[in-house]
Amino acid sequence: MQEIKKRYVIPGDKIVEGDYKPLMNVVRSGNYLISTRVGIAEAGKDGVKVIPLSGVYIPRVNDLVIGKVIDRSSLSWDVDINSCFFAHLPAQDVFGRDFSPARDDMGRQLSIGDLIIARIVSFDRTRDPMLTVQDKDLGKIPYGEFIKISPTRVPRLIGKRGSMIQTIEQATQTRVIIGQNGIVVVTGRDVDGLSLAVKAIKMVEEESHTSNLTQKVKTLLNVHDPIEEDQSKNTTVSYNGGSAVSSTPEQAANAQQQQQQQQQHPQQQPEPQSPASAVSSTPEQAANAQQQQQQQQQHPQQQPEPQSPASAVSSTPEQAANAQQQQPQPEPQNPSTSAIRNNNEKSENNLSDSLNNIDQKEQKQELENEDA
Amino acid sequence: MSELKLIDENGRRSDNRGIDDLRQIKITVGVVKNADGSAFIEFGKNKIIVAVYGPREVHPKHMALPDRCVLRCRYHMSPFSTDTRKNPAPSRREVEISKVIRESLEPSLILSDYPRAVIDVFVEVLQADGGSRCAGIAAASVALADAGINMRDLVSACAAGRLGDKIVLDINDLEDKEGDADMPVAYLSNMEQITLLQLDGKLSSSQFSECLNKAIDGCKLVYEIQKEALMKKYFGNETELKEEI
Repeated sequence: MQEIKKRYVIPGDKIVEGDYKPLMNVVRSGNYLISTRVGIAEAGKDGVKVIPLSGVYIPRVNDLVIGKVIDRSSLSWDVDINSCFFAHLPAQDVFGRDFSPARDDMGRQLSIGDLIIARIVSFDRTRDPMLTVQDKDLGKIPYGEFIKISPTRVPRLIGKRGSMIQTIEQATQTRVIIGQNGIVVVTGRDVDGLSLAVKAIKMVEEESHTSNLTQKVKTLLNVHDPIEEDQSKNTTVSYNGGSAVSSTPEQAANAQQQQQQQQQHPQQQPEPQSPASAVSSTPEQAANAQQQQQQQQQHPQQQPEPQSPASAVSSTPEQAANAQQQQPQPEPQNPSTSAIRNNNEKSENNLSDSLNNIDQKEQKQELENEDA
Repeated sequence: MSELKLIDENGRRSDNRGIDDLRQIKITVGVVKNADGSAFIEFGKNKIIVAVYGPREVHPKHMALPDRCVLRCRYHMSPFSTDTRKNPAPSRREVEISKVIRESLEPSLILSDYPRAVIDVFVEVLQADGGSRCAGIAAASVALADAGINMRDLVSACAAGRLGDKIVLDINDLEDKEGDADMPVAYLSNMEQITLLQLDGKLSSSQFSECLNKAIDGCKLVYEIQKEALMKKYFGNETELKEEI
């Protein structure tokens, strides 16, 4: 089979001739595979696909979406999830199995106009999508800056291994919740940081097809770091069609690198925790949190944003304690803040064993450096 | 009579074109911010704006199809688009052109990908100068691609016709009214399939073949302009993907 270079395509363009398997946004016409969308065509071992640059959101099971409650019946809420189908959130999902329309007031839990983060539990060609808010950190979003972007830009906004969104969050001291359906909610206390984050997100959307976008965003955010510049070179074309959740081992490594950078550049005022480390599920991550505490003590001029309760979701008692120490005046309850990031938790748990040794060594080195 | 009027002794037409010349075509993509996809086309003096909304929920609900998407098209001429004011109410001609535009676009779309949904295409003629249905189809196809609808190919459209014994490409308003035949054609350039073929006037068998081939050649030229417009919107001036290592 011939090698296919990535290239720009429009509907009807012949991508390749031969016995390739058509994957995403590709159809077979005779002996050719042709593109059905405007986008970037690429071929892998599995087959040929086109990563689209435009289009509406088509629901998929297990996607995390942000939706707006637009109506309610006696048994469910209708939710606009920025798609061609309205989603349904059953009242039983919120009230429990003993829900009674006569006894329970649905308006007490969710009103029309409320914004929720939810997971799609079922969807097919014949039925509208069904939502759930039962998982951890799903539910109502109480506050935040609402941005709507094209769903096709979501992978780009997240970046490879979450690099783009981490950059934005750290530089603006905000938290960004991204739904797969292209709805983004930004929260934070600093008004300037909020507006800068919104500006950066819109820039990513507008210039998502351009190369070296991470560097452009860093320039906008006034982030100058040679180490990160090196990283950005690897994130030029990141239309990997991946999920809104970065769940790779590299993410954990990134988080560690960022910690190192924090130590090397104390004049910077990053957020206390990167998204990857926001959900700590290993003893090493607990140690990270401790390190951050030490950093704060060493650099009292830093005034990082307090962690929201959701970001302090900890799977070990030590972490919980650390989080409480770091958070004397927590923000109002925001159960959904870390919902997307928590999706990493399972994969991080699986991968954490393999990373343990590396992490421990690096942390020891860091501590030694600090002592020195 | 018409030959003297519409083509001079040097073979030039009323607007100084040769018999195989297209009018100036310019397509701009993404002009309507609130639409899912849009395009603006200047096809000679024709100025047409097309907006695509969808796939979205069908209203009224009973129109929804369980196995595929509904495509709705509305071709409308603004009251100021013609020399004398046009009544804004949909005329018989507009209803018919709406239908033929829909039927010319449908084969290019993979409607089964969006069951129970609807795609609305609004073709608004701001200035008309003959061949507005062809221009509308070309712009609508680009707008559909801009909206991210799954398509097998772009639909290009162009008309050809007869002025006396000469077969000419791209009939304008005067040639449409005074000429002897007008044949609008919509064509899938990559798939080499015709999605619209109309004929107003009389042509012999050989003239028909010549006219059709000429119209298809025109469609291929229009396709290049459509492609360029889409590439410019999404990839700027880059023609090839540059990957940094």
